[in-house]
Amino acid sequence: MLRVTQTKNALLDGATIAEDLYTTPKDCEEGFESLELPGKNPKKLSPLLRAGVLTTVRGSAYMEYGNTKVMAIVAPPHELMRATARRMNMGVINCFVNFAAFATGELESVPEREKHLGSMLSKALEPVVCRTEFLNFQLDIRVLILDDDGCLLSTAINCCGVALVECGISTYDLVTASTACIYRDNVFLNPTAKEEELLRKHRGGHALAGSENSSSTTTGAPQEHGLITTASMDTFDQLAQCQQCGYLSPGTYVKLLDYTLAINKSLRQIIRRVLTARIKEQHELDVREKAESALEDQRLAEIIERLGRQGLDEFIQSTIKEDPFVKR
Amino acid sequence: MAYVALSEAEKTFILHGVEEDFRCDGRSRRDYRPMELETGLVSNASGSARLRLANTDILVGIKTEIDVPDPLTPEFGKLEFFVDCSANATPEFEGRGGSDLAQELVLALENAYESPLAFDYRTLCLIPGQQCWKLYIDILILECGGNLHDAVSLAAKAALHNTKLPRVTASLLDAGVTDLIISDNPYDCTRLTIDTVPLLVTVCKIGDYCLVDPSAEEEACSTVSIVVSVSMRNGEAFLSGSHMTGGGAMHRDTMRNCLNLGLSIGEQLNTLLAKVLKQEEERVGPKRPKTVGFLK
Repeated sequence: MLRVTQTKNALLDGATIAEDLYTTPKDCEEGFESLELPGKNPKKLSPLLRAGVLTTVRGSAYMEYGNTKVMAIVAPPHELMRATARRMNMGVINCFVNFAAFATGELESVPEREKHLGSMLSKALEPVVCRTEFLNFQLDIRVLILDDDGCLLSTAINCCGVALVECGISTYDLVTASTACIYRDNVFLNPTAKEEELLRKHRGGHALAGSENSSSTTTGAPQEHGLITTASMDTFDQLAQCQQCGYLSPGTYVKLLDYTLAINKSLRQIIRRVLTARIKEQHELDVREKAESALEDQRLAEIIERLGRQGLDEFIQSTIKEDPFVKR
Repeated sequence: MAYVALSEAEKTFILHGVEEDFRCDGRSRRDYRPMELETGLVSNASGSARLRLANTDILVGIKTEIDVPDPLTPEFGKLEFFVDCSANATPEFEGRGGSDLAQELVLALENAYESPLAFDYRTLCLIPGQQCWKLYIDILILECGGNLHDAVSLAAKAALHNTKLPRVTASLLDAGVTDLIISDNPYDCTRLTIDTVPLLVTVCKIGDYCLVDPSAEEEACSTVSIVVSVSMRNGEAFLSGSHMTGGGAMHRDTMRNCLNLGLSIGEQLNTLLAKVLKQEEERVGPKRPKTVGFLK
């Protein structure tokens, strides 16, 4: 371990600078202790979901999950740009994920994560969309991450699912996704950025140390750590995507998978409700518009009728309003 | 994946073959195609391996470099993967045609090697917080005959086994800047332990059945496949990363079956690879003189 010497700075009048230059596995340990451990009952789901938030595109959706804020935009399919992809007998889905400049603390890894999320997102949506319906066309899906507080991939999938419906792209089923992770035998459902950080950035650094201790003393089983993101289509219990990273035994894997599937089921209800509400809202708007246009039609019909009855000159005379600016 | 033109009749033929557990080339659903493995052929790389899995041809070279460790993980070295899809493999890879596939392979490998339990990054550490080895794993796809994930991970593991890191004999600490003295003897080197290094196994679903090591034609028939990364630790198989690919969906139970198939195959592959690498070692032999010339 690098020892950091405490530098005395004359200018600071006896004060010291630089406590620790970087986070160490010890900090990771402290970070873990400061976390609220998940209780017996998993936390209540309260995602905020809106369909049709933008008027400039056909399909858009916005989702807040905890502090994670994601917006998805779907435009109708357009002709394929690349000739090579044309050989496929299916439409092509392209997903572009972008972080807003203020979305995340560390900026270095952003381009890498954008690429990774984009490729995973298109993998997850490929089974959902009826790709046979737009042969030789490509569907561009854009996701903007406004705030990153964990579960980015699953929130993005949920949001895209709603945006697809909003855009009128035919899909086989509603898609829902959720994340579960395990760290030091604690299961976190839909983890926050802090919890994910423990796994990814410290790369389970402590898990390794723990495994050594335990292997020398008691059990010998390495500390499992890992994260699972599952996207599912629940009508026929199909998994659209199941992505895992970390180090898990098969038993734990299945356990986490079942947790995420259970969350997906409850999320599905919420998404259905949002979509129905959206359709009702749209229907009301349509009805109102129809009523207005009917009114307009009626007014025009009246005028035409009057025109026929009165004759042209008389009609013009009767419809000319007095100019208020002309003095009598 | 590389594009293969198949008619409906051909696809049906392959599908029926899979159902009968007797594939086009006479294999059962759990069999791999013949493999050839050679290590240490690139003289300019620290470690290298070439794997030929029927028509799939992979060459992996590993270069080493001294780097500063990531401040968050001061005790860890670094790995970097790079996949190059050569235009020889299929004409589609010309220009930037192979970049999507290359990116997918890189992501799969990075995901599999991410956990420190899968690859012990501490063996690459020289001075914690200051100096570590960085390994550049360059993967060249010479020919594309299906099942790239498996072939690439096998070749990468073999190349890691073959990698020789020069031994650091001393370090000087001068005003906070470290200077490493590296052994002059080219045969004085350390090796990496690869026991827990993961292997990727692609389990492909064709019709109602799951199979391993799909050929390019079989890949064209499959609806969905799952890439399972299997890492052996204390004789147990662990998952160090997995994802689904191929644009299809599967039932949870199907997935469990696929996972179990992948794990058992991965276990077998792992022991087989270890055996082959040991044989290769014995054949080529480490019986080189410990010191060369009269300097020592």
